[in-house]
Amino acid sequence: MMRAAITRWVIYLTSASIGVIAFLYPFFLPMLPKEAVMGSAHAQDAPLLLTVLVGICFAALLVEAQAQAGSAKMIALLGVLVSINALLRFVEVAAPGPGGFSPIFFLIATTGYVMGGRFGFLMGALTLFVSALITGGVGPWLPYQMFTAGWMGMSAPLCRPAVRVLRGEGTWREVVVLALFAGVWGLVYGAIMNLWFWPYAVGPQEQHWQPGMHWTDGVMRYAAFYLATSLAWDAMRLAGNMLLMFAFALPTLRVLRRFQQRFTFTYRPMEQVGI
Amino acid sequence: MIHPLAWLIWLAAELAVLSATRNPFYLAIAIACAAVVLLCLRRRTVDAPPMPLSPLRFGLVVLPLAALFNALTVHIGRTVLLRLPATLPLLGGPITLEALTFGALNGLALTGIYAAFVVLNGAVAVRALVGLIPRAFFPVAVVTSIALTFVPVTLRHWQQIREAQAIRGHRIRGLRDWLPLFLPLLVGGLEHAFQLAEAMTARGFAGAQETAGARRARTLIAGGLLALLFGWLLWLGWRQRTLGITLMVLGGSAVVASLWWLGRQRPRTTYRPTRWYPRDSAVALASGIAAAVFLVAWPGLDRSSIFFYPYPALAAPGFNGWIALALGGLLAPALLTAPTQRAWLFRRTPGEDEVLKRDATVQERSKVGSMPSHALSVAVRQPDVECPPVPTGEPQ
Repeated sequence: MMRAAITRWVIYLTSASIGVIAFLYPFFLPMLPKEAVMGSAHAQDAPLLLTVLVGICFAALLVEAQAQAGSAKMIALLGVLVSINALLRFVEVAAPGPGGFSPIFFLIATTGYVMGGRFGFLMGALTLFVSALITGGVGPWLPYQMFTAGWMGMSAPLCRPAVRVLRGEGTWREVVVLALFAGVWGLVYGAIMNLWFWPYAVGPQEQHWQPGMHWTDGVMRYAAFYLATSLAWDAMRLAGNMLLMFAFALPTLRVLRRFQQRFTFTYRPMEQVGI
Repeated sequence: MIHPLAWLIWLAAELAVLSATRNPFYLAIAIACAAVVLLCLRRRTVDAPPMPLSPLRFGLVVLPLAALFNALTVHIGRTVLLRLPATLPLLGGPITLEALTFGALNGLALTGIYAAFVVLNGAVAVRALVGLIPRAFFPVAVVTSIALTFVPVTLRHWQQIREAQAIRGHRIRGLRDWLPLFLPLLVGGLEHAFQLAEAMTARGFAGAQETAGARRARTLIAGGLLALLFGWLLWLGWRQRTLGITLMVLGGSAVVASLWWLGRQRPRTTYRPTRWYPRDSAVALASGIAAAVFLVAWPGLDRSSIFFYPYPALAAPGFNGWIALALGGLLAPALLTAPTQRAWLFRRTPGEDEVLKRDATVQERSKVGSMPSHALSVAVRQPDVECPPVPTGEPQ
């Protein structure tokens, strides 16, 4: 048990570290010594390398998280919830909401919060995957979308300590915590998603490298780009996530908790229970 | 119909080419190949759904945006077009033709990548994409098939709830008015999930217990990830390139090998396997040659024109006829696609298709009400993904 837990945490932490470094890599690129990057012949390979690294991390994380969906009950529950959420995205594609607003983050956050991080990760990643399949949205952004939405679902249980401290389970205090969480992720999701093409926008190292250059210069460039092109778009997602939480979270959490109890019983042979 | 794996190889080759060069000639050829394949595919596909966003529109937005952004934020290059006041943070300095050109080339590469994925979306059916999920991700594949199967069921359920609430006088005036629609959908879906789980269990589906081998594979994955992380840090932070790359390759290989081994432990049955024909080999070979020219240094081939770089002073990019000829291999799917094939989402015999269209008109259209035609097309056709070739559960 102990060994399995250590392995699980190593996979979580290492894949998260590689993912974070991969996403932040373009900011450090101008600072790095030239010989540490690729050489001019391979200056354009950075996005490919990042995609491979993100892909390997995502695969490892998926293998670990899918252990949660080991039973028929969890598989069916996840399948149906993903289907409902994918349908919401489908409706959104057919009749787009304002800016980056999307209803899918509501269920990703609430299910991750109630059912646990691994379930939330699968819910986030698979919602994006299934909805991409039914809307024809498979693209280079998909692994990043799956990774980021998965992270959102995985991090949702982090709200629990705050709710516990506020003694807010089943009250509006719990809704406020979840609304803040979903709102922040509305912005973070957009900021991370821009990074899939950021290495293309940044270009190779030679274009920026100067002696004594600091990583904050890269962040400044990104901030300017983000403010000019994405902030207004992502602000709609932030507002939409918070509004949905305030409007639907309390009854949805009640339903999810009720069904969580129904879905967590296990079948055991009669001899094991002494009948 | 080209094999999904051959399409993936074609896509990988396109991505490799578009990522490896900024020579406008080669970029243009690669994009032109993708465009020709897309046009052929759409012309030969009956009832093809509309694209979410055409690559042309994507390019018209992304290309000028990328050029402008690069010109405004990168102030190197000899051909100065104008100067912005140095007091402007980030933007101040010379605006150069070289930075403008390089930004436009980046936008061109992004447009090509987008076009390649639009081709993939149009060429490979949903069930084939689900079938490509590696065996190591067996639970994920099952969840995906369930989710895809339940989409039309959920849609019908949604419509029933709407009608039932409308009869009770429910009207949507604000955000909270969606609650009487959303909650029954959620509760009904969860009840469905419960019934499905019982049916799956009754039919012998059970998640396999984790074996000692699976535990070892998981440990190897953790070790591989650690090696990957430290190798990358050694390479970037401590300039230990050889050691870093070696560790990264070892770590990546350990993860991939573990996934492969985990996949081998899962039996998989396929109702109707997609056959691999010689034309699939031809597509894979032609695409592979195009990618290999850009990724591998071949003796006797001058590859200097691949690494076009507009700085410090813009000069005409080089051109090598042999490289351009190899790029033509990316046209192979256009030359080898069957003259006519059915729509991307599902493929039926012509008779069945007529029946489906008739039923869709009479029954489904009345159910899905005012949905747009694209949405209707997917909603009506979705039942066909009920039997994707996914792994079966292991009997208890």
